[in-house]
Parts: sequence; structure tokens; C-alpha cells
Amino acid sequence: FRFKDSLAEDLQSADLVISHAGAGSCLETLEKGKPLIVVINDKLMDNHQLELARQLHRDGYVLYCNCSTLVETLQSMDLSALKPFSPGQPEKFASFLDKVFGLQ
Amino acid sequence: TGGHTTEILRLLSCLSESYSPRHYVLADSDKMSEAKIHSFEQKRAETFSKSQFTLDRIPRSREVRQSWISSVVTTLYSILYSLPLTYKRKPDLILCNGPGTCVPVCLSAFLLGLLRIKRTIIVYVESICRVETLSLSGKILYYFSDYFIVQWPDLKKKYPKSVYLGRVV
Repeated sequence: FRFKDSLAEDLQSADLVISHAGAGSCLETLEKGKPLIVVINDKLMDNHQLELARQLHRDGYVLYCNCSTLVETLQSMDLSALKPFSPGQPEKFASFLDKVFGLQ
Repeated sequence: TGGHTTEILRLLSCLSESYSPRHYVLADSDKMSEAKIHSFEQKRAETFSKSQFTLDRIPRSREVRQSWISSVVTTLYSILYSLPLTYKRKPDLILCNGPGTCVPVCLSAFLLGLLRIKRTIIVYVESICRVETLSLSGKILYYFSDYFIVQWPDLKKKYPKSVYLGRVV
């Protein structure tokens, strides 16, 4: 399919996700606790998408490759080495704002 | 737009009803955010009965990869367009997270502050996608915001006046 409003169902039933480096895709997948391989599009210039994918990889949350190394990555991957992803904490932000406005 | 909307709605998710009414400002070209916002506010209204929000649109200040010179012109136009909106709403707080749309809104509020018409606190939260470098909006608003929040430690090192709370979305 080309476009769906939400991938939540597909993600839920997947055992492995291979995705581009878009933040939404990465985070949604990680939050569902699914193993993720991020494929970088090296043809896109000024690709700041790389920053998040690279950091997630450094922190051990995702595997990481480009189009030409995808097959090799699939063949040699060890998904058990991936760390479980802890979600962001918007409550910390709310707490911070409350302090700014003297609401705490 | 898209990812920015999702992120900002997550930021709003834990805010109390003191942060009300909420005025959303969207780019005129943004088709999908309106639905997400309505959905968020609807859910919120289930818990907080007096929940209020409005939605306004402004011309998009800059297209992706638009040239520098034309960006300055379109942004100036957007600032002029935003001024009456910011003046009308006179927000106590502007919360934004990086789409080009937020720059003219923030700058118009900053201007109203300089003119002693309304002092708005500007809080900018850089997107979670920004680990090592700031977005263009971030680079600009780093100097105009009251609180500039980053979500990764590298950015805190590079931009010492920023606030680091860890990942918040």
C-alpha cells in the first residue's frame, strides 16, 4: 500500500520492522517494542534524519544500514542484542513548565 | 506539520487545565494536522469538561529547501500576517517545536513584548530528531525564546543556554 492513516495494526503484528530513518516511524516502532532495522537513504542530501537513527543505533536500540548493505545486515543480524526502548517523558516537560509559571 | 504536530501533542499530553484555552496555529498548506488536533482535544474534553481551543492558519513562511533570500521575504510577510493574530490572542505562553511556521509567530510575539503591548513567554522544544545539530528554526529562536529545550545531551553542550530534560516526547 502507498499510504495508510495509521500503521499501528501492522506494527503490532510484525516480528521485524525495516524502515527508513523518519523519526515517526522509528519511534512508533520502538515504542511497540518491535526490533527495527533502519535503512538510510544516502541519496538525500542534508539528511538530518540520520542524526536520530545514528543515535538510536549508538544507544543500542536499532540496527542500521543503507540500501546496499541491507541483505548482509539481514543475514548477520542479532536481534537479541537490541536494547529495550524507554519512552519519552512528557511529564518532565509539564513539571518544568509548571515551575516556570509557579504552578508547583 | 506531520511529525511536529505529533511531537507537540505529546508535549501537551501531561499539561494541566491551567494551560487553557489553547490556540493552535497551523500553516495554510498543512492538511493533516487539523484532524490530529481535533482528535487530541476531543479526548481531552472527556477528562476536562471546560477544555477550550481555537485553530488559526497562517501562510507557510518557508518551503523545504527554499532559497535564503526568498525565505527572508516570505518570513517577513508571515511575521506581518502573524502580528494581528498574536495581538488578538495575546498569549501568556507560546509553545513551539520547530516547524518554519513557528518562527514568525514567535517573532511577532517578541515584537509585541518589545513594544510593551504583551509579554509572552516563548518556550521552544527542539524536535527529538535533532541530536547533534539544531534546526533552522531552533538556530533562530535560540536567541528569542525564554526557554529553549533540547532532548539530547550533545545539544546541551553546544548550546549552553538550553535546558535538557532528557527525551520528553
